[in-house]
Amino acid sequence: MSAWRTLLHRLGYLPRQRRFDRQLEAELQFHIESRTDELEQQGYARADARARALAEFGPRTRIAEDTRAAWQFRWLEDVLADVSYAVCAFGRRPAFALTAIGCLALGIGANALIFSLVNAAFLRPLPYPNADRIAMVRFTPPSQPDQKLGTNSGGYFFIREHSRVFERMGVLRITGFSVAVGDSDAAAREWLQGGWASPGLTDVFGVQPVIGRWFREDDTEMGVVISHGVWQRLFGGRRDALGETLRLDQWRAVVIGVAPPDYQTLSPDVDLWIQQPDQDLARALRSPNRLFNIFGRLRPGVTIEQAQADLRKLEEPLGMELPMHAGWGLTIDSLHEVYLGYLRQPVLVLQGAVFLLLLIACANVAGLLLAQAVARQKELGLRAALGSSRNRIVRQLLTENALLSCVAGVLGIALAWVGLRTLVSTGLSAYRDLQNVTLDWTVLVFAMLVSLATALVFGILPALHLSRLDVVEVVRDTGRTTTAGPARVRGAFVVAQVGLALVLLMATGLMTRSLLRLNAVDTGLTAERLIALQIPMPRALYRNTMGNTPGGGLLVQFDSRFSDMTERLRERFAAVPGVESVAASTPPPLGGAARRVLFRKDSSLTVADDREPWSAEWYPVSADYFETVKIPLVRGRAFTRLDARETRPVAIINATLAARYWANENPVGRMLQTDVLDDPPREIVGVVGDVRQDRYQSAPVPQLYTPRTQLPYRMDMQMSLELLVTTFIVRASGDPLALIAPLRAAVRDIDPTISVSSARTVEEYAAAQLQELSQYAAVLGLFGAISVALAVIGILGVMAHSVGQRANEIAIRRALGAQSLNVLGLVLRHGLTMIAVGLGVGLVASLMVMPVIRSFLWGVTITDPLTLALVVLGLAAVALVACYLPARRALKVAPIAALRGD
Amino acid sequence: MGKAGSGELVQGTLPLLILRTLATGPNHGFAIARRIQQVSNEVLKVEEGSLYPALHRLEVQGWIDSEWRATENNRNAKYYRLTRSGRKQLEREAARWNAIADAIATVLREI
Repeated sequence: MSAWRTLLHRLGYLPRQRRFDRQLEAELQFHIESRTDELEQQGYARADARARALAEFGPRTRIAEDTRAAWQFRWLEDVLADVSYAVCAFGRRPAFALTAIGCLALGIGANALIFSLVNAAFLRPLPYPNADRIAMVRFTPPSQPDQKLGTNSGGYFFIREHSRVFERMGVLRITGFSVAVGDSDAAAREWLQGGWASPGLTDVFGVQPVIGRWFREDDTEMGVVISHGVWQRLFGGRRDALGETLRLDQWRAVVIGVAPPDYQTLSPDVDLWIQQPDQDLARALRSPNRLFNIFGRLRPGVTIEQAQADLRKLEEPLGMELPMHAGWGLTIDSLHEVYLGYLRQPVLVLQGAVFLLLLIACANVAGLLLAQAVARQKELGLRAALGSSRNRIVRQLLTENALLSCVAGVLGIALAWVGLRTLVSTGLSAYRDLQNVTLDWTVLVFAMLVSLATALVFGILPALHLSRLDVVEVVRDTGRTTTAGPARVRGAFVVAQVGLALVLLMATGLMTRSLLRLNAVDTGLTAERLIALQIPMPRALYRNTMGNTPGGGLLVQFDSRFSDMTERLRERFAAVPGVESVAASTPPPLGGAARRVLFRKDSSLTVADDREPWSAEWYPVSADYFETVKIPLVRGRAFTRLDARETRPVAIINATLAARYWANENPVGRMLQTDVLDDPPREIVGVVGDVRQDRYQSAPVPQLYTPRTQLPYRMDMQMSLELLVTTFIVRASGDPLALIAPLRAAVRDIDPTISVSSARTVEEYAAAQLQELSQYAAVLGLFGAISVALAVIGILGVMAHSVGQRANEIAIRRALGAQSLNVLGLVLRHGLTMIAVGLGVGLVASLMVMPVIRSFLWGVTITDPLTLALVVLGLAAVALVACYLPARRALKVAPIAALRGD
Repeated sequence: MGKAGSGELVQGTLPLLILRTLATGPNHGFAIARRIQQVSNEVLKVEEGSLYPALHRLEVQGWIDSEWRATENNRNAKYYRLTRSGRKQLEREAARWNAIADAIATVLREI
């Protein structure tokens, strides 16, 4: 193509400009010499001939210039000229340039930041081959379609046998292990989560280990595949880790492989995988526990919807075959949805907020540009009068805007980078899937596109306005050019800004109110100086009976060793200096959900199924529990060391349970019985205060405490695994964190094979529950603050400009005797109208948008009057100040100014 | 100078004339201008101010290329030479010009 050749030739010219100039000079010189020769032949003397030739030749520099132009990029040089002109123009108006760049950089930066989250959460595929075909099948209870639970192995086998949509299926059961490296019994243990994987599960994910192999169905020895993280941490990433022995509870397993770094099955905390063959699974065929998570790889071409339809057809036959599933629904979700779906709402709300922010920033810049356009009418009119074409002027203006946006874009990306570092290191701990968010090229492209689009959209508007100007009018004009059009547009921008700021502030306000209300609610216990040590006791404390519970679960048998071990640890902890008191429980106070049990009241104890049993949160606790945690005793007594296996079975209930089931009666001395296997009827010996284990509960729920020493020996295995994870709650006399090391040492003293799986203060647990909401409120608050700042800039700009424009009018009015107040009123009226309309628009928009964040609110409605009033008044006050400051300048206009004119 | 024309070239014809001149063999700028003048019986006068920009534009477009060599009286001159694509361009341009000239002639004759 000739265009390409032209481009190449021109590019070739660029590095050889100087040589080219010399050659061109020589070429022209040759022409003159030749003409001189010619003239000499015609009879002129050499000197005359030369003079004549030179005269004939014409303006040599211009010819050289025109010739050179053939080789140059005209547009490129024009652009360079435009850019340098723009830089000069900004240099003359640094306030304008800095404000515009600042506004845009904030908008672009915030968008790039949030888009990184969107990108990480939704756009990046999961690191498995054909990840879109991996899905999870879960069970939804008859009355709670939002809940998605696992299955027993019977459900899995049934679906695997009858469904046609899967290429491969597998199940995973997550559990914890006390792990030691090597074969020694004395080696220090640590608590790791592991997954029992059925054959087939690894095929579903379709990823090979980085070294070693997955298990095989014919493996005779127990093999374990470890996560990349554990490989690095426990084995220093050594390749000879393969073949090493790991102690997992009472088992010995050989390391046979290392999973890839980002390999994740359901939970990122799962650090090792062990095979669970089908014959093992078959033991849980009719188990009442839903411990197995079904994963499947869809056949090529099968959509999630088709798979869902196929599964629907299985619901009924499955319920007939296994009655525990009767009435339950089957739901299939893509793995992506399962892993990241929970992020959708928060991230999209943030993206919406931040997009509003960008709009506000753009409105500001557009307003500034419009004001500039008016202020520069003269300059540009002059250029037009001197022969600049309109296109050329529009291009010049667009160049300025593009330059603004590019600088802002680069700054914005820098801001986003800083913001992301801060967010990842501090704020995002609640969203672990967002831990490795980065600014990748998609984000950069997004940011640059946003900034360029901004430049185009908001640059064209003023540019078109300018290029419509009548040149003659402008040059002749004395400053009375009509500017009603742009002024109206700017007014609309301010309205929008105030409105958008109001929306963001409302969201922040409602969340902050929710937080305040949540914090104001008494948790029912005293969390200060409490530390909770979670210690998963060894599985060796029970014996597998190989039998089943009446409900179908695996039945295990304890003996006194469990409570003996608990007591030994408790006594050892109590001896640690700085410990005030110690108690044991499951789960930690304010940390995690308690198991729920059903119970019957005294009257129905003898008559089974007399009436529907009630449900309560169940806490098996040790003696000293209420004293340690400081739950007030309302009546009766607390548990003591005397409440043992051999003594009368007792229970303590909370005030809510007492009030609900023994209204106007004294429950102490009455009987109740739980549905826990083998649990005897218990006498209620005390009533204690309510605890908000889940701080979001709108009202306290019934709670039931029994002594740990009186736990039945026969138990469902799943329940035993929960209870084995014993929480020791220690009240420190001083700094609780300083106790962690001595307490860990104390555990090692008692038994080196026991590991502490977590040590956190109860205050941390309490804060963790509100963490998501507070982070969310903080981020929205930041955006709200930025939006207010932007709106203030917008108002200041418009008001300052309007005062400047009306200086003449004001001067005349003053000359005619107008009072300061009148002048102020005149100027302010415009601003006040804008603000009032903006607040109105914002209120309506808030009411429309707020339902989106309803699920984050606690104890406030989206029309909370206090929040509404505070936000509206606060924003109005700030806006008024922003209005007043420039308006005051109107007072300084001297009447004489009108006469002096321009 | 002939009275038949002002010597002003019709716009856009100079490249065509240059290409045609070079079709007879390589030559330098001065000789090209002279030759156009002679062949047109002094009707077409080529200004240096148009000649050199035109030559260089053609070179940038790749229709001619150039080399420096000595003339018969031993001066160093930049010789232009028609390239293959230049020859094709000449054919196209000539055909186009002839078509226009015919059309104009027809109009002049018929109206």
